[in-house]
Amino acid sequence: MKIEVKALSHTYDVQVLDNINLVLDEYKAVAIIGVSGSGKSTLLRILSGLEQPTRGEVFVNGRSVKEPGYKKTVGFVFQNHNLFPHLSLLENITLILEKTRGMSKEEAHAIAMENLRLMSLEDQVNKVPKNISGGQAQRASIARALSVNPETIFLDEPTSSLDPILTHEVLTAVENLRNIGKGFIFVTHVISFVRDFADYVIFMHEGKIIEQGPPTFLDNPQEEATKAFMQKVR
Amino acid sequence: MNKKVSYLVSVGIFILFAGVVVIRQRTPFNLSLLSGYETLVFEGFRNTIYASFIALFGSVVLGFIFYLLSASKVRFFHAFTNVFTEIIYGTPLLVMIFAMAFVIGPAFINRPSQQEVHILGVVGIIIYITPYMTNIFKSAFSSISDEQYMAMDLFGFTPFQRYRYIIIPQVIRILMPPLMNNFSLIIKGSALLSVLSYRELFYAIQIVQSRTFAFTEAFLLMWALYLIITIPLSQMTRWLERRWALE
Ligand SMILES: Nc1ncnc2c1ncn2[C@@H]1O[C@H](COP(=O)(O)OP(=O)(O)O)[C@@H](O)[C@H]1O
Ligand SMILES: [Mg+2]
Repeated sequence: MKIEVKALSHTYDVQVLDNINLVLDEYKAVAIIGVSGSGKSTLLRILSGLEQPTRGEVFVNGRSVKEPGYKKTVGFVFQNHNLFPHLSLLENITLILEKTRGMSKEEAHAIAMENLRLMSLEDQVNKVPKNISGGQAQRASIARALSVNPETIFLDEPTSSLDPILTHEVLTAVENLRNIGKGFIFVTHVISFVRDFADYVIFMHEGKIIEQGPPTFLDNPQEEATKAFMQKVR
Repeated sequence: MNKKVSYLVSVGIFILFAGVVVIRQRTPFNLSLLSGYETLVFEGFRNTIYASFIALFGSVVLGFIFYLLSASKVRFFHAFTNVFTEIIYGTPLLVMIFAMAFVIGPAFINRPSQQEVHILGVVGIIIYITPYMTNIFKSAFSSISDEQYMAMDLFGFTPFQRYRYIIIPQVIRILMPPLMNNFSLIIKGSALLSVLSYRELFYAIQIVQSRTFAFTEAFLLMWALYLIITIPLSQMTRWLERRWALE
C-alpha cells in the first residue's frame, strides 16, 4: 500500500490537522495512535475519501482521494459498527452489492455469505443488528467492508465500545485477515494489537504527526508526548 | 399475583365500578330502550372514523410540509414554523375548531353552508395536530445518524437509493407508533365536532338521548365504542414499538 500526503491541513471551527506530510510505501498495516482529540479520526476520514481536506494533497495507491471513484476502492469499519439497523446482516451487504456495484441477487448473496462466513457469522446472517452482540456486529461490519472488494480497509477504533473479551474476538478476526492482500489503516487504543498487527505506526499529537516508524519505536519513544501516551496505555 | 391475573382483576374492578354507577342511577338500566337507533349510532361511529381519517391524512401531509420548511436553510421558514407551533401549542382544540368554523372560515367563505362548517371543523383539527406531526417527522429523520449518512456516501448510494432503501424504511418504523398515538388523539378530539352539529358519535348519542331519555345506556354505549377503537389502537402501537425497534 502506498500513501502520499502532501501539506495536509484541515479545519473545522479550529485547525484539526496541521501541515501533515507522509510518504509510505509497501507497508501493509498502518496504525494511527494518539490521545483523543489529536485528529486521528479526521486523518482517517480524509485518507478514506469520506471527507475532503481543506488544504493539501492525498494519494493512496497512486489515486487522489478527490477522484470521484476513489471511495469505491475503500472499505470502512466505523466505531459503532454502523450497520443499517433495519436490515439483516445479509441484507446489509447484498443491498450495497446489488444497488451500488450492479451485481445480480445471486452474486451478491454468494459474496455476502462468503464474507460473513469468513467472520464466523454464518449462523447469524438473518438477524438484525440489535439482536446480536457488539462483537458480532463489529465483525459483520468488517464483513461488509470486505464485501466491496476494497484495496484498503480503514478501521476507526473498532473496539472502543466493546468489553475486553469482545475486543479480543474482533481483533483476532482482523489479524486473521493479514494475508488477504489488502492494506489496513486503523486507529486503536489497543497497543498489543498495534504491536502484533501493524508494520508501521504513526503517533499523532495536536493535529501533527510527531513520531512514526515500525512498531518497535513504541518501546523507546523519543518525544515527551509519546512517552506520556505510552505510560497511560500500558 | 401474576401478570395475567393482575390484569383480569384490574379490568374486573372497572367493570364492577361501571356496574355500581349503573345501579345507582334513578331509573333502571334498560338497553332495549336503544333498539331502533342502531343505524343512527352506527352512522355516528362511522362519521367519527371518517372525519378522523381525513384529519389524520391532512395533518400528516401538512405536518410533513412544515417539517420540510423547518428543516430548510431559509431562516424565514424556520421562524414561520416556530411561530405557528407556539400559537397552536397555546390554543385549546375546542377554540381551534370554533375559530376555524366561525371566525377564520367565514372570513374567506361567504356564509358557509352546514357542510362547509363541518369541513372547516375538520380543518381545525388538522391545523391543531399538524405541529405534533411535524415533531414526529423531525425526531424520525434526526434519528438517522451522521455515520449512517457517511456510510451511504462511502458505498456510493444515489440520493434516490438512500431514501428508498435506507432512510424511508427506518423513518416509517420510527414514525408509526407516535403517528398512531396521534390518530388516537384525533379520534378523541373529533368528539368536539359535535359543537358544529356534525353527526359524529358524540352528537349521534346526544340525539339518541334526547329521543329515548336513556341517558346512561346511550352514554355507556358511546364510551364503549370509543374504547373499542382506541384501546386496540394503543395496544397495536405498543406491539409495533417493540417489534419495529431499531436498537
Ligand atoms: N465534524 C466535526 N466538526 C467539528 N469539529 C470536529 C469534527 N470532527 C472532529 N472535530 C474536532 O476535531 C478535533 C479532532 O477530532 P478527531 O479527529 O475526532 O480526533 P480523535 O479521533 O483523535 O479523537 C477534536 O477537537 C474534535 O472536536
Ligand atoms: Mg476518533
